[in-house]
Amino acid sequence: MRRLICLLAVGLLITAQAALAAGEIQLDVKEKTLSNGMRILVVENHIAPVMSTYIRFKVGAVDEHNGITGISHFLEHMLFKGTRIFGTSNYEAEVPLMKKIDSLGVLLEAEKAKLRSPLRGGSEERAKALREEIAAVQAEQAKYIIKDELWETYLKNGGNGLNASTGNDGTQYFLSLPSNRLELWAFMESDRMANLVFREFYSERDVIREERRLTTENQPMRTLSEALNATACWASPYHWSVVGWASDIENYRLADMQEYFHTYYHPSNAIAVVVGDVKPEEVFAVCEKYFGAIPARPTPRQVFTEDAPQKGERRVEVEYDAKPSALIGWHMPGIGHPDVAALDVLSDILSKGRTSRLYKNIMEKKLGRVSAGISMSRYPELFTCNITPMGQHSVDEVMEATLAEIDRLKTEPVQAWEIDKVRTQADADFVRSLSSNIGLAFQLGNMEAMAGNWHYLIDYRDEYKKVTPEDILRVANQYFTKSNRTIATLVSADGAKPAGGPGRPGGPGDRPGK
Amino acid sequence: MKKLCITILVVALTAAAVAAPVSKGSQIAAGLKGPEIKWSIPEVGKDVQREVLDNGIIVYSMPDHRLPLFSVSAMIHCGDAYVPLEKMAIPGLAATVMRSGGSTTMPVDSLNAILESIGGMIEIRPGYDNARASLDVMAKDIDLGLRLMADLLRNPAFPDDKLDLAKEQIRTDIRRRNDNPGGITGREFNHLLYGDHPSGRVIEWSFVKPITRIDLAAYYDAFFAPNNLMLGITGDFDPAQLKTLLNKYFGDWKKKEIVLPEIPKVDNTPRPGVYEVFKDINQANIRFGHLGIDRDNPDRYAVGVMNYILGGGSFTSRITSKVRSDEGLAYHAGSSYFTDGRDLGTFNADCQTKSSTAYKAVRLMVDEVNRIRTEPVSDEELNDAKDSYINRYIFNFATPAQIVGQLMSLEFDNRPPDLLHQYLDNIRKITKEDILRVAKTYLKPENLSFVIVGNPAGFEKPMDEFGKVTTIQLTEPVTE
Repeated sequence: MRRLICLLAVGLLITAQAALAAGEIQLDVKEKTLSNGMRILVVENHIAPVMSTYIRFKVGAVDEHNGITGISHFLEHMLFKGTRIFGTSNYEAEVPLMKKIDSLGVLLEAEKAKLRSPLRGGSEERAKALREEIAAVQAEQAKYIIKDELWETYLKNGGNGLNASTGNDGTQYFLSLPSNRLELWAFMESDRMANLVFREFYSERDVIREERRLTTENQPMRTLSEALNATACWASPYHWSVVGWASDIENYRLADMQEYFHTYYHPSNAIAVVVGDVKPEEVFAVCEKYFGAIPARPTPRQVFTEDAPQKGERRVEVEYDAKPSALIGWHMPGIGHPDVAALDVLSDILSKGRTSRLYKNIMEKKLGRVSAGISMSRYPELFTCNITPMGQHSVDEVMEATLAEIDRLKTEPVQAWEIDKVRTQADADFVRSLSSNIGLAFQLGNMEAMAGNWHYLIDYRDEYKKVTPEDILRVANQYFTKSNRTIATLVSADGAKPAGGPGRPGGPGDRPGK
Repeated sequence: MKKLCITILVVALTAAAVAAPVSKGSQIAAGLKGPEIKWSIPEVGKDVQREVLDNGIIVYSMPDHRLPLFSVSAMIHCGDAYVPLEKMAIPGLAATVMRSGGSTTMPVDSLNAILESIGGMIEIRPGYDNARASLDVMAKDIDLGLRLMADLLRNPAFPDDKLDLAKEQIRTDIRRRNDNPGGITGREFNHLLYGDHPSGRVIEWSFVKPITRIDLAAYYDAFFAPNNLMLGITGDFDPAQLKTLLNKYFGDWKKKEIVLPEIPKVDNTPRPGVYEVFKDINQANIRFGHLGIDRDNPDRYAVGVMNYILGGGSFTSRITSKVRSDEGLAYHAGSSYFTDGRDLGTFNADCQTKSSTAYKAVRLMVDEVNRIRTEPVSDEELNDAKDSYINRYIFNFATPAQIVGQLMSLEFDNRPPDLLHQYLDNIRKITKEDILRVAKTYLKPENLSFVIVGNPAGFEKPMDEFGKVTTIQLTEPVTE
C-alpha cells in the first residue's frame, strides 16, 4: 500500500471547525509476535528507499533501586561496546583477561566500600595498586578490542540518526538506514541482544559520571527538577533521575549490570518497529531468522513502590549560581487511568499555543514564562508547572499568578472554544506526527510498551476528545490541592569570584585579548 | 560547470575501496547488503516544479498526497548579516513582532484564534542572512492558510505592546545568559573569533532598549518584497488550485527595488591564547579552535572528511575515541569544521570534563590535531568516512520537504546548480594525500584560541602551555 494511512469517511471533514476525528484515521500497522514472544510492528512508507528502525526494551529507571540507580542508562551505553563477534579480533583471548579484570574489580569495589568509613580499615594504597593492576590487564585486552565497531558498521552502511535513549519507563535503540540494510540491522541488533560483552566497563562508568556533571549538575533547571522529584516522590522510583545518583554511578559493579541485562534484555521483553520502504513479510521473515533464534526468558517481575498520598505541601530550595526559577509538581496517576486525558486537556488549555491561558495571562503580561505538562508514565508521577520569571518579577509573584490560573480551573468551567481548539490541535499534531518514519516508529513502539498495544495511540486520542468541562473541574479540584503539591525553588547563590581580569560585558566591541 | 545537464545519477551504495573487515561480525555484516538501491538526485522540472510569479516570487513545489497536510516554507533575504552593530536587535525583533503583532487587517488575537481552531501554525524565525516563515495547516485549510500567511507577510502591524513584550523577552534572556556553562562557552568563543562581525556579536540591552516600531517598519520596507522572497510548498494540494491561490493572495504584492547591503568581511586575524571564564562549577567546559574556510573553497569536501576522522564522526573519530572511550574523560568530546558559510566558518574542538582532568583532556585533543597534520590517515579510516558520507547522502532527500528545501536553498544561496550532483564525486575522489594536505593547510595549531569555562583552581595543571592565559570575568549584564 502506497499511502501511509487511509482516510475513511472523508465526507465528515468538511467544515473548518469539524475535528479530524482520530477514528477516521486508520494506521496500517502490520504486527507479529515471534515464537519467543518478541513483538514486531511494521508500517510501509515507500516515498524514499529508506527505513527507520526502533527497538524498545521494557526497562528503565523505575526498575532500579538504591545502589544501582541509573544502571538502565549505563547498560544502554554498554550495548555499543561489542559482542562475542563484534568489536574484537579474538574473543577467546579476551575471556581470561576479562575474568581477571572482573575479579580485580570485585576486590577494588570491596576496598572502596571499606574506604567509605574511617572505621573499616580501607587502604588507599591497596585501592591504587588494584587500579593499576586493572589498568595493566585492560591494556592487554585493548590489543584485541576493535573500538566502537558496531557504531562504525552502521555509519559506513549509511546509518543516520543513530542513537539510543533511556527514560524512566523504557530504553530504546534507533536509527535510519537505506532500506536494503534490513538484514544487516536484524543481524546486528539480535547479536547484541544475545551476545553482549561488557568491554571497557570502568572507563564507561567515568563517562557516565561526566554525563551527569554535564546534563544535570551543571544545568540549573535539571538540578531543580531532580530536587523536585526527590522531594515529591518519597518512595516511588521517580525519586531519582534517569542518570542516577553520583555515588551509585561511581560504584556500579559489573555483576549488577550482568544480572540486569540478563533479566531485562531478551526477546520476550522487547519490541521492534520498522517504518519505511519495506515489505512486512520480509521484515517478519528476517526478524524470525535473527531475533527468533534467541531463547525466551521469563517476563521480569515489575516491582513498584508506590508513594503514599501526600499529606501536606512540600517545599525544597536549591542554591545555584543562576537566576531564580521554580517548579511545581502535583501527584497524578499513570498511563491508563481515566483522569490522565482530562489532565492532558487541562494542561493544553493552560499552556499550548498563543491563545492558551498561561501565555495570555502571564507571558503577555510580562510576568514570566510558564508552561504546564502532564507525565504519561508507567506508574503515577507528576503534573508539573515550570516557572521562569521575566524582568524584575520575583518567583513568588509569578507563582502566585500561576496558582491563580490553576485555582480558576477549580471554579469556572473551561469554555467550549478552548476544548474545541485543543481537540483540533491534537488531531492535527497526530496527523503531522505520522509524516516522519522515525517519529512514527517511536510513537508505536512507546505505546506498545507502555499500554501493551500500539493501538492505544488511537484509543487515547478518543479518550482525550471525550473530556468535558465537568471532567476538568473535577480533576482540577481533585489533584491541584495544596497538600498534593511540591514546590522546588532555585535561588541565586553568590559563587566565589576570583579577582581581576576584564569583565563581560565591557560594552560593545569589547574583545578580550585583542 | 562541468556536468550541468546530468539528468539521472544512479547512486550505488558502496564506495570504491573496502578494507578487509577484522572481526567475525563485520565479515558477516559485509555480506548482508540487499539489492542495490537506485535513486537519483531530485531535479527541478521533474520532481519539483519551479515557477516565478509576475511580481518575482519564486515558488518551488512538490505534491505529497500521503497525508492531508499542507506546508509552506518562505525564505526572505534579510537578517543579522545585513545590519550594523548598533541595529543588531532589529532583525530578531522584526521577525518576532511580525508574528506576535498580527497584521493591519487582522488583530493578532483573531489570527491566533482562527489558526488554533483549525490546528494550524504560522511561525517566523530570524536567521543570519535570511528570515524564514512557515505555514502548516491541514490540506482542507489551504485557502485560509495561504490568506493568513500572505496577510502577515504583506501587512505586519508591529504594534508597540508586542514590541515591548519581545524586548522584555530578550532582556530576560540577557539576564539569564550566564546560567548555563555551555551557553557561555559558545558565546565567548564566537565573540573571540569574530568580534563584532555579525557572526560574533553579543546582544546587549543597550542595543535593544532604543528600538521602536519605526525601526521595525524601516527594516521591513528595506527587505520584504515579493522579488526578495521564495516559497517552498509541499503537501496534499492540486497544482492548478495552488497557482490560483498564490496569485490571489500574493499576486498583487508590488515588486520594488531591493538593495542588499554588503556584508562586512570577517577579520581573519588570529587570536591565539587561553581565555578562562570563571564559573564555580565542577566541570570545565572547553572549546578551542580558529577561523577556517568558506563554502566556495574547493577543499571543503576534503576538510569535511578530515574533520570526520579527527572528531566529527562521533564515536569512531579520533578525539571522541581517545577522550571519551579510552580515557573516560568526557561524555561529549569531538570537533567540527563549519564549511557552509558565505564567509569563514570555524574549526573547533570541544569537550566537558571534571576540573581535575581539564588539562589532560585539552592535551589529548591538541595532540590529535597535531597528529592528523603529520601522519597520513589509514585506508580504513578514509574509506569508512567516505562510505558514511556516500551512503547517508540519501537522507538529505528522504521527504518532499527536504527535497524542496535542498533545491530552493541552492538558488536562495546562489550556489552552483550542479552542486548536489557533484557532491558524491567530490567525496569519492578524496585521497589520503588530500586529507594530509588539507589538515596541514586548514588546521593551524599556532592560531588556536582556547575558551575554558569553569573553576581554574581545580585544574590539575595551569593551561599556559597552550598560550597566554587571560581571564574573562563574568559580570552582571546591564539590563536597565
